[in-house]
Amino acid sequence: MQIFIYGLINSISLSLVALGFTLVYSISRIPNFAHGALYVATGYFAWILMNLFHFNYFISAILSVFLSCFIGAMIYRLVLIKIRGMEISEVIATYAIGLAIIEGLRWGGLRGATYTLPVIVPGSIEIFGVIVDYQRLFAVFVGLVIFLFFYIFIKFTKTGLALKGIAQDERAAMMLGIDSDKMAIVSFILGSAIAGISALIIFPLGNIVVEAGYNVLVFSIAVSIIGGLGSWLGAVIASFIIGYAQILTEVFLSTHYQMVIALLAIIITLLIRPSGLFGKQKELEERV
Amino acid sequence: MLEVTNLMVFYENMLAINNVTLTAKKGSIVGVFGSNSAGKSTLMYSISGIILDIKKKEAMKGGERITVFGKVIFDSKDITNLLPHERAKMGIVLCPERRRIFPESSVLENLKIGAYLDKRNEKKNLEYVLNIFPRLKDHLNRQGGFLSGGEQQMLAIGRALMASPSVLLLDEPLLGLSPYYQKIVVDSIKDIKATKNITVIVAEQYARPIIPVIDYGYIIENGSSVLEGTSESLLNNPDVKSAYFGV
Repeated sequence: MQIFIYGLINSISLSLVALGFTLVYSISRIPNFAHGALYVATGYFAWILMNLFHFNYFISAILSVFLSCFIGAMIYRLVLIKIRGMEISEVIATYAIGLAIIEGLRWGGLRGATYTLPVIVPGSIEIFGVIVDYQRLFAVFVGLVIFLFFYIFIKFTKTGLALKGIAQDERAAMMLGIDSDKMAIVSFILGSAIAGISALIIFPLGNIVVEAGYNVLVFSIAVSIIGGLGSWLGAVIASFIIGYAQILTEVFLSTHYQMVIALLAIIITLLIRPSGLFGKQKELEERV
Repeated sequence: MLEVTNLMVFYENMLAINNVTLTAKKGSIVGVFGSNSAGKSTLMYSISGIILDIKKKEAMKGGERITVFGKVIFDSKDITNLLPHERAKMGIVLCPERRRIFPESSVLENLKIGAYLDKRNEKKNLEYVLNIFPRLKDHLNRQGGFLSGGEQQMLAIGRALMASPSVLLLDEPLLGLSPYYQKIVVDSIKDIKATKNITVIVAEQYARPIIPVIDYGYIIENGSSVLEGTSESLLNNPDVKSAYFGV
């Protein structure tokens, strides 16, 4: 039971993080390797705003998410727009920016156990004999709200539909008057917002550590590759696979193997089914 | 009015379009005919601006160097250097070769994405599209990728119409269509001109069904415009007859 409940919670928080990465990739075809960095940065921003500027929690939470969106948009507007289309350069540039942010934070003093964000809803509850703290349930709740929000946003708004168009066929969307660069910026803003929000929810469960940036990045990549790069449904399903795998390794092996399992999963997927579980359906592509 | 003057397009050293001049009056149907690789699609890409996107992507990949000379003028504004979405905003919408439907979206969603530029008239346009292509009505919730070729073509034209274009570019709308669907598409072209007063430029290698409905036509061979004229003069031209009608 414990495995089931904690696996579920873990999977949903994982899919929350991975959704941002997948979203950016599916729309702009740019793998945003700075995703993990934005995640850590948002947590750190919130801490700074609360402890050095003495804002209250909600204001600093909102401000830090905005800041993360702004950085995401700037990464695209200043750097990626010039190198878009050169795949290796995209990876190197985003990875370099991510490294710069993470190591910059480490250099700036983000070390040790002093940096914690407050828990939004304290206390815990017993579900089927398993003790779960409210913060974890809150993470599940926020995850579901974000999924719902995205479903509505993509399905019913003008920008959402345009994003969907760009994700499927960029050039056909351009012919209909959709600006590809603008939509890529929107995707970076949304991706960074998701990274930021998940940071604010997940960090209170422990300390803000820079290493989380790398973990988040690796797990996001693992989830996106297993689910099929750019597939939103695939990402959610793959995060359940990885999420439960994480909990199982924690219970039966040891926490240290979590990363190994994720990386192994990437390799196995690439060997057996390179397009992932829900990779682009090839049979649909040409029908003349 | 849309004018293309002295257009030349190079792919590396290969001349794809050689000094083509083309005029499309407001509310007329203009045909561009030619065999495979005559340069029809390149001409359509140049009018809609997609060529600039291809050029940019090729340059990024280190692929072919594409150079464009000449001018594209729309309503006496020079649009040669405008990006595709900017031209679409001005009303030039391309319905591309091989349709390029959004395969994972439903038919209705395809049409909704098409309405990006004109949300205000979405309902009216949708009604019009379903009116000229009643078959789409039965498949509104079906995935675009699962439609037949003819249905996809209707959807592609419908999707372009949702943007309320003033110039509609159709690239090979009859490609791979059965005679039944060809007739529907040709009829729809006539209807688009008659009820919406939209300028239509059709590029097609299968000229026979299209020539009777055009106002003015151009024959393109190896990138150069070799013959132009009204519908009747093309129909009666012996060269056109032997090359396109097999008489």
